[in-house]
Amino acid sequence: MRFTISAAKPEDCKDIERMIMELAVYENMPDQVKISHKELERDGFGPNPFYHCLVAEVPEEHKSKDGNTTVGYVIFFYTYSTWKGRTVYMEDLYVMPEFRGNGIGKALLGAVAKEAKDQLCSRLQFSVLDWNKPSLDFYMAKGAEDLTAKEGWHFLRFHGMALDNLAQEAP
Amino acid sequence: MASYILRKAEPKDVSDILRLIKELAKFEEMEDQVILTEKDLLEDGFGDHPFYHCMVAEVAKQHQSADGHVIVGFAMYYFTYDPWIGKLLYLEDFYVMKEYRGFGIGSEILKKLSQTAVRTRCSSMHFIVAEWNTTSIEFYKRRGASDLSHEEGWRLFKIDKQSLLKMTSEE
Repeated sequence: MRFTISAAKPEDCKDIERMIMELAVYENMPDQVKISHKELERDGFGPNPFYHCLVAEVPEEHKSKDGNTTVGYVIFFYTYSTWKGRTVYMEDLYVMPEFRGNGIGKALLGAVAKEAKDQLCSRLQFSVLDWNKPSLDFYMAKGAEDLTAKEGWHFLRFHGMALDNLAQEAP
Repeated sequence: MASYILRKAEPKDVSDILRLIKELAKFEEMEDQVILTEKDLLEDGFGDHPFYHCMVAEVAKQHQSADGHVIVGFAMYYFTYDPWIGKLLYLEDFYVMKEYRGFGIGSEILKKLSQTAVRTRCSSMHFIVAEWNTTSIEFYKRRGASDLSHEEGWRLFKIDKQSLLKMTSEE
């Protein structure tokens, strides 16, 4: 099946929003999605974008059951490791289920790897849920290493009220 | 110990920042993994497009360390993006020299970071901690942090340069 990978444009944000929700549903956390295409447009396309996005599109004759031709996306941004310097963090990678098996996921990942190489990044990092075996298998086949298993890294966060409390703590 | 100040890092601080990065890496038993240089820190933090932001803790000369240093702590952070909730502040490294702990410097740094997060409309402050580092985990949990790896099953993965290059040359 033919497809193209290209940089997302502001008008793609409605499709990106749709697919973000599909991925959240798959990850069993749809109620955690709080932003819409409006925030995605504001935050991804100004002079100081907070993320970069590539989309996968198929020609009209291969459109999805629901009539969509934008069938996959990857969201990534640049981060910094005090050990290695510039790195890329891949936040979301998703291909609609009916379009899997055509090399689209591989092409999106390859496109991010190319960006990483062009920007002199030494590493690509991302996170996967421990039960997500199809994704775990996909990434391990590409040479990924599980740093949580290997080195014991855990993700922590200060969120919402906890963040506000921290900001207001008396000295 | 009396006074210290927290301020934005300046280009002249890169030598101290690298020293502290290596001290923290030594504590994490990964000192040989630090390949970053002062030149990298300078270019990547103070050029046209900073990849990171940094805050340092400085004591008065009369309180300098045993080795004669006045920069005794630092925090390195940058902004990331969560497609569900938008902008986040990501805390990459956070360290106070051993002889300066117990004076509230760490708490004050964390407070300043959380104020930065709130001021810049970030919904959350994220970071990673090694699971064996119980002192740090307790420090953060006491202040309201939650462990997403534990609660939701997120695992951190990396794909290194060699595997990335392989992906870019694959068709």
